[in-house]
Amino acid sequence: MIKTFEELNLVKFNRNKMLKRMDKIVNVCYGAGCISGDCQSIHQTFIEALATFGLSDKVKLNQTGCIGACDLGPSVYIQPDDVYYCRMTIEDVWRVVQEHLLDGKVVQNKCYFDQIEGAYYEHLKDIPFFNKQQKLVLKNCGVMDYNSLDAYIGNEGYHSLYNVVKERSQSQVIEEIMASGLRGRGGGGFPTGVKWGLCYGSVSDQKYMICNADEGDPGAFMDRCLLEGDPHAVIEGMAIGGYAIGATKGVVYIRAEYPLAVERLSAAIEQAREDGLLGRRIFNSNFDFDIEIRIGAGAFVCGEETALMNSIEGKRGEPSQKPPYPTDEGLFGQPTVINNVETLANVPMIILNGAKWFSSFGTEKSKGSKVFAIAGAIRNAGVIEVPMGTSLGDIIFDIGGGIKNNKKFKAAQTGGPSGGCLTAEALNTPVDFDSLKEKGTIMGSGGLIVMDEDNCMVDVARFFMEFVQEESCGKCVPCRLGTKRMLEILERITVGLGEAGDIEKLIDLGESIKKTALCGLGQTAPNPVLSTIKYFREEYEEHINEHRCRAGVCTSLFNSPCQNACPAGVNVPGYLALVSEGRVKDAYNLIRRENPFPGVCGRVCTHPCEEKCQRGMLDEALAIADVKRYIADKVYEMKEPFRSIQFPPNGKKVAIIGAGPSGLTCGYYLARTGYEVRIYEALNEAGGILRFGIPEYRLPKKMLKREIDVLKQSGVTVFLNTGIGKDIEFHEIREANDAVFIATGTQISNKIGIAGENLRGVYHGLDFLKDVNMGKAIRIGERVAVIGGGSTAVDAARTALRLGAKEVHIFYRRMKKDMPADHREIQEAIDEGIQLHTLITPIAILGDNEVARLKLIHLNQGSFDTSGRRRPREEFASDYTMEVDMVIPAVSQHGDLPFISKDEIEVTDWGTFVVDATSGMTKLEGVFAGGDVVRGPNTAIWAIADGKKTAVEIDKYLGGSGEINKGEEIDIPIAKDEDSPDEHIRFERRMLEPCQRNDNFKEVSQGYHKLNAMAEAMRCLRCDRR
Amino acid sequence: MNLVDMHQCDCEKITENEKMRYLDQAMEDYGYKESSLIQILHVAQNLYGFLPLSIQEHIAEAMALPLSRVSGVISFYTLFSTEPKGKYVIKICMGTACYVRGGKKIIDRIQKILGIKIGETTEDKKYSLELTRCIGACGLAPTIAINDKVFMQVNPDKIVDILESLN
Repeated sequence: MIKTFEELNLVKFNRNKMLKRMDKIVNVCYGAGCISGDCQSIHQTFIEALATFGLSDKVKLNQTGCIGACDLGPSVYIQPDDVYYCRMTIEDVWRVVQEHLLDGKVVQNKCYFDQIEGAYYEHLKDIPFFNKQQKLVLKNCGVMDYNSLDAYIGNEGYHSLYNVVKERSQSQVIEEIMASGLRGRGGGGFPTGVKWGLCYGSVSDQKYMICNADEGDPGAFMDRCLLEGDPHAVIEGMAIGGYAIGATKGVVYIRAEYPLAVERLSAAIEQAREDGLLGRRIFNSNFDFDIEIRIGAGAFVCGEETALMNSIEGKRGEPSQKPPYPTDEGLFGQPTVINNVETLANVPMIILNGAKWFSSFGTEKSKGSKVFAIAGAIRNAGVIEVPMGTSLGDIIFDIGGGIKNNKKFKAAQTGGPSGGCLTAEALNTPVDFDSLKEKGTIMGSGGLIVMDEDNCMVDVARFFMEFVQEESCGKCVPCRLGTKRMLEILERITVGLGEAGDIEKLIDLGESIKKTALCGLGQTAPNPVLSTIKYFREEYEEHINEHRCRAGVCTSLFNSPCQNACPAGVNVPGYLALVSEGRVKDAYNLIRRENPFPGVCGRVCTHPCEEKCQRGMLDEALAIADVKRYIADKVYEMKEPFRSIQFPPNGKKVAIIGAGPSGLTCGYYLARTGYEVRIYEALNEAGGILRFGIPEYRLPKKMLKREIDVLKQSGVTVFLNTGIGKDIEFHEIREANDAVFIATGTQISNKIGIAGENLRGVYHGLDFLKDVNMGKAIRIGERVAVIGGGSTAVDAARTALRLGAKEVHIFYRRMKKDMPADHREIQEAIDEGIQLHTLITPIAILGDNEVARLKLIHLNQGSFDTSGRRRPREEFASDYTMEVDMVIPAVSQHGDLPFISKDEIEVTDWGTFVVDATSGMTKLEGVFAGGDVVRGPNTAIWAIADGKKTAVEIDKYLGGSGEINKGEEIDIPIAKDEDSPDEHIRFERRMLEPCQRNDNFKEVSQGYHKLNAMAEAMRCLRCDRR
Repeated sequence: MNLVDMHQCDCEKITENEKMRYLDQAMEDYGYKESSLIQILHVAQNLYGFLPLSIQEHIAEAMALPLSRVSGVISFYTLFSTEPKGKYVIKICMGTACYVRGGKKIIDRIQKILGIKIGETTEDKKYSLELTRCIGACGLAPTIAINDKVFMQVNPDKIVDILESLN
């Protein structure tokens, strides 16, 4: 029995004495995640191994609560060495005992491996996931026996209860909690001290202290972590609360889905009772307090306090009207306080360390720390604790490790079905109650779901509304009917049946429900919908007006995720299926229905399709681009002529300015559809950026010419060496043709804007590549510095190397993973001996007339910009100089057209043309524009997609139906049913070795062997099957 | 009668009479209090696998409550079922994190493999399929629970293997 301070202190003393006798403490994590990883076997094996090596008396084995890193279990943490081992197996246990515990050598390859740094971190204090947290309420989880009362007392447990019961009055306790600034952690954020004060003020001979452990928010698993890892903290907090308000009975309402929490809390309550810490006359005072557990039965609404109390009373869990508030009339009509698990777990340490200590953490109005459960598209999912006021970006990127698979951050959902989303703009927002409210969401209980580009925000809203609709108790009309109607609208939108006015209806309904629903469930149910409409309205509009789901989630709106991701809508599963059956010509014609450049795109496309390939979730995404290249190469080897249906001439004329991918594509489709098409190109060869901006070793000129020749068979006429405004006037073209398409691209290199940029030896990226591609003689330096991280930079670097540079350096201002260039190409460049330097930027180019040196400065990562990346900041006094004799800045480009004045055509601030979003027409009647000249520097496939779309619009403009001639329909093999695809990573294409390619312009990628191409195509999961 | 112990009990091993005795004992232990109705219903469902009308009537009578009260509570809470379940109850978690990590595909695939829809039981009474609210294992989404065992980071293509491992 523990009834006196001496008895309490003795337990603590004995416990700590026992621990001091130990050489090491081995903490085996028994969190829910680790249990499913069979931590019990790990524990048993430790017992066995320690006995075998005679270490049982010197090593303490702890069964601990969840240490927080879900993905790394079963995990083991060794003290005092501060060594953290992940993903332990039975064999690993023997190694750890022998090598580490016995011989003192850390088993490095079982430690945490940081993917980005590429190194092992042996100590917990070095792992960013842990060292950026502040464990206050979770301080025992992971380092203490969860099932030992002695262990809890050893860590100052129940000392606060003693202090409260023996040395403070009820008012004093309430004052301390008020002074601490503790606010409810369940989502409401109501000041706990105030709530206790109100209940204390109510007069009754029976009051209740309820702990809300319903934790029903999907995505929230913080409270379970506390209950399963440090149950006594909750018990002690409740007892202190009970004392303060004058309650003798406590009830913990735990959801039925948490049997482990029920089990561990029950055991802890039993232990406390046995030692007299719960029950009558606690610490020999007049204070009686006992706790009962009540289990829920699967109703989310029972997390709402009045519904919860009804459920404890054995009734249907429907909410009741407030007032009366629970502190006046609560459980069984008596004054009651309902607090969240985390709120209560904070109480003992506030009493122990004082209100001043607690309020030293956090922000002005949100004191202390907050436990979050981060999950979703995040690298390090788990339970974390940070001081209030930590920025959202720090949580997601520093602790969470950023987005999994290097995808792009899209939104973070806080507050579960009651909350809203935060976008990249909010990454610098300090996370506390009031800041989040300002941003249109709520703190909620702590669930933080991170979403990336693969999540459709309309579908997310639908998901939450479906949840709420099902969980609605049905008592009040606004919630019961209102959420049903909102759900119906959202469901229609996600299957392509959205109507004009739907968005306005959702907003209207949502705002009405918020104002009129009976309880918090209904009042907050519209939040996810309203929030996603606010920040992602374009997605809703795309679903409704264009029947398009850009994330590739709403399956009724697309064929397959890859085809959906392709700007040109190429039928990817279709052509892969054809290749796997050996029908290469059909595959080629299928591609050409949407994209006349399979040979080019197979080599240089950025392949957004591969980012969405579902196979990537199994083993590795399909090499869609490589197979496309194989198809084109195979077909161009064939001697048979190309035959395709040509529509009869319709007498209308169209002029196209610019023979780049956009202009050529537009001309191709229009000519096939019967138009007379003339393309005017200022340079001496067709191809645009394809011909002049991409090096030979990536896209051989012979292949490009072959593809353009095939395209010209459609009937387009290309006039080379014909510049508009020089050789022919713009108004002449407009008069002679029924429509004009401007597709001139962006040809002018941007300047970095540093001193010395006009010295001799500075050659801007695009100009450099263009001159090389035109065959001009260029003086290459011995030491070349390339500035930039996109394709132009990497191309320029590899070209300079091939032209004889001895050393080539690329300097990029962000990190390698942020580089826009294709990552296979970056690796190829590094393999060729090019040196990549990241987080560096030039500040001046030095020299007399010619480039002699480059001054650079190191950068580190600052706060977030709206793209979700950290802004690089110059590091103080970290500049240095390097000898170079050639500098190639490749920092993007812009367009400019001398033949059109800015009054006639509308341009944006950065020089791109403004066009109608649907038709692509400029302000000038009959004059269309597309490709880079509208989008700014972008990729070939977007230019091609624009060209095709403009062909459709021009056809409509000139009286046609908009059905352009894409060629014959190809019948595609039906997908066969297989339950288990055989796992296999990509079949690889043939490549030249680095030593074979450093000094020449031979094509680096040699393409697929036929059998490998077919095997690769067979890996396709046929996501287009229905 | 410890409610938690009931979870591990194998209902097939005890006779109908014994089940009834456990239930009656439980109601006595809870003092026939109306406020303990939900806990008693949990006990009954753990014993019988579901809550048929006959059991509802028995409980209503023993606790001096109208049948409509008992029935009303049962129909409100999703965990209480008036239909018998299969030997393996497969619960697919539809919490946000699991959903966001591909939960939909798992539903489609399981429905296809078993040939039943959500809420149904296979002909041979072997499998029942349900959606469950968040199980709280979000860090290792997507998850499914089969009886009491939770499977994490489930891949639709591995479902057949998981089902086979149960036997």
